[in-house]
Amino acid sequence: MKRENQMTFGNRREARFEREPARRVFAAELREARHQFKEGTEEKSPTYVLLPTGQRCNRAFVVGSMTEKMRQGEQNIFYRARVVDPTGTTFVTAGNYQPEAMQQIARVEPPAFVAVVGKPNVFEAPDGGGVYISLRAESVTVVDRETRDLWVLDAAKATLDRIDAYGTTEDSKKAAEEYRIDPALFRKTVADALAQMHL
Amino acid sequence: MDLSIVAERISQKILSKGKNVDQKEIEAKLRLLVDEFGVQPAEAERTVINELGREYQVQGLAGAVETDRHAIAELVPDEWVTIEGKVVGLSAPNSPSIAQTGIIADASGAIRFVVWAKAGAPCLEQGRWYRVESAVVDAFRNAPNLKIHSGTTVTAIETDKPLLPSVVNVAELKPGVASVHVKMVQEWEARSERILQTGLVGDPTGTTKFTIWKEEGKEPLTSDTVYDIYYATVDEYNGRLSLVLNSGTVVPDEEAELDVGAGGQVYGGAIVHVGQGSGLVKRCPVEGCNRVLSRQNYCPIHEIQPEFRYDLRIKAVLDDGVTTKNILMQRETTEAAAGLTLDEAVELAENSPLGMDEVFLRVQSAVMGRYLDCRGRDMDTTVLVTGAERHRFDPAALAALIDRAGGEA
Repeated sequence: MKRENQMTFGNRREARFEREPARRVFAAELREARHQFKEGTEEKSPTYVLLPTGQRCNRAFVVGSMTEKMRQGEQNIFYRARVVDPTGTTFVTAGNYQPEAMQQIARVEPPAFVAVVGKPNVFEAPDGGGVYISLRAESVTVVDRETRDLWVLDAAKATLDRIDAYGTTEDSKKAAEEYRIDPALFRKTVADALAQMHL
Repeated sequence: MDLSIVAERISQKILSKGKNVDQKEIEAKLRLLVDEFGVQPAEAERTVINELGREYQVQGLAGAVETDRHAIAELVPDEWVTIEGKVVGLSAPNSPSIAQTGIIADASGAIRFVVWAKAGAPCLEQGRWYRVESAVVDAFRNAPNLKIHSGTTVTAIETDKPLLPSVVNVAELKPGVASVHVKMVQEWEARSERILQTGLVGDPTGTTKFTIWKEEGKEPLTSDTVYDIYYATVDEYNGRLSLVLNSGTVVPDEEAELDVGAGGQVYGGAIVHVGQGSGLVKRCPVEGCNRVLSRQNYCPIHEIQPEFRYDLRIKAVLDDGVTTKNILMQRETTEAAAGLTLDEAVELAENSPLGMDEVFLRVQSAVMGRYLDCRGRDMDTTVLVTGAERHRFDPAALAALIDRAGGEA
């Protein structure tokens, strides 16, 4: 019997655009990230930063206390903000190319809990003062303490998941070569961060 | 099966119509089909009967193949079947090669049928019982479909058997035909001019999409009203089910109360993006349109619509750190998630120099970065959220993570 009308599943549609997930990463790990790479050769190919626990990261989600913000530049206004989590400080920037995030930072009165979604960006200090990483903000929103607490648990879980998968994925093998950091170090970071929550 | 017996049977049949055919010739035809082409004997018998019927211009030979009577609910594709059922729905055929389409039911369930124009079957009437012999069950879009072809015998039967539709739970729906007892819970923006109404209906086991196509005499459902829907067709498209009410009978049950189970799935994560078009929107007031208007009150179909109506929604991205989901919250969910009612939003927009942007900013700052547990259904590219709750801090989760990290509490 013919079944010509049967629906065929699978590849029924070409691959659609997949948004890059926002990785949960503590400041202590993010500041160690150095290795930046591009997947594919096209101009629009995404750029990733390789996290030391072995996962590529094109976008990050961080919730912490904005303790300070600085407005820089005359013609090209540019904001830098410090966002502190239980493990350290993440630098968040927003310039003319991120007008929405810039206006959002402008409205924040530190200290305040903020949720930041942004793209990691590795750069070298002009005076040869070393390599830094910051998050170029896509959005900065004032949130409540509970959201911050939830994020600490979320980042802890994500970091532990990455450590558990360490050595089993291509990205983590690459991380082992690039960084030579024992991931057990980050397990300690997570434990310390969680211990602070308990207080 | 001994083909000579089959050949004799066929020969007798034709003889009874006053024509004489050589039995050997019949047997040779049968053998060719069975031995050379691997055709099942029953199918071969049917084929030969049809062939001879045409050749000798004899009518009424079909239906000679004995098939057992089947319960409609148990029909599976690729079977020859005989059923007795009542025609409970007829619809307009969409091709000249089809004489009739509709739904036939017995006490066990119901099935869609199609009568091919070439079948030469009598015209079926709604509400009458028929015995359908030697029809074929086929699958059309994963739903079983009864094909009445030239080899099928259809006889009207007189019976006063009462027919009670077998009602199923929403969670048990599968492609085909079904009767449900449901409450209309949501109306959606219709994407096509041909749609009278689309939205969600549900019962305690879950919810499902429904569609009513524009057709003479069709009425839209009323929100929050319970209905008995008999013999609706259940379609499957891209892995999700949709109840099409046009074929069915819709009876409101105004007394009834029904709790609608959420169904769907819970998606957890943080809101990492709030899209344009979130917040206050204006919708086209033309019945059945409901499209979002531009800032200048322009509907892509109905042009300028100054008598628009306001609505509140959120289009956002929910991200759990591994995957992202586009989500859509409609008015009620948005009101709860943003802590802002539609009336308040309208007032805010009318009194702020930023207008509707003010509502967007307010909604954005209320949900961005927040951890939400969104209950809903994945509609291919977007999760339609029917309920969203703030994820709450759980000390047990903290304790479990401390254990996992190997730290001391």
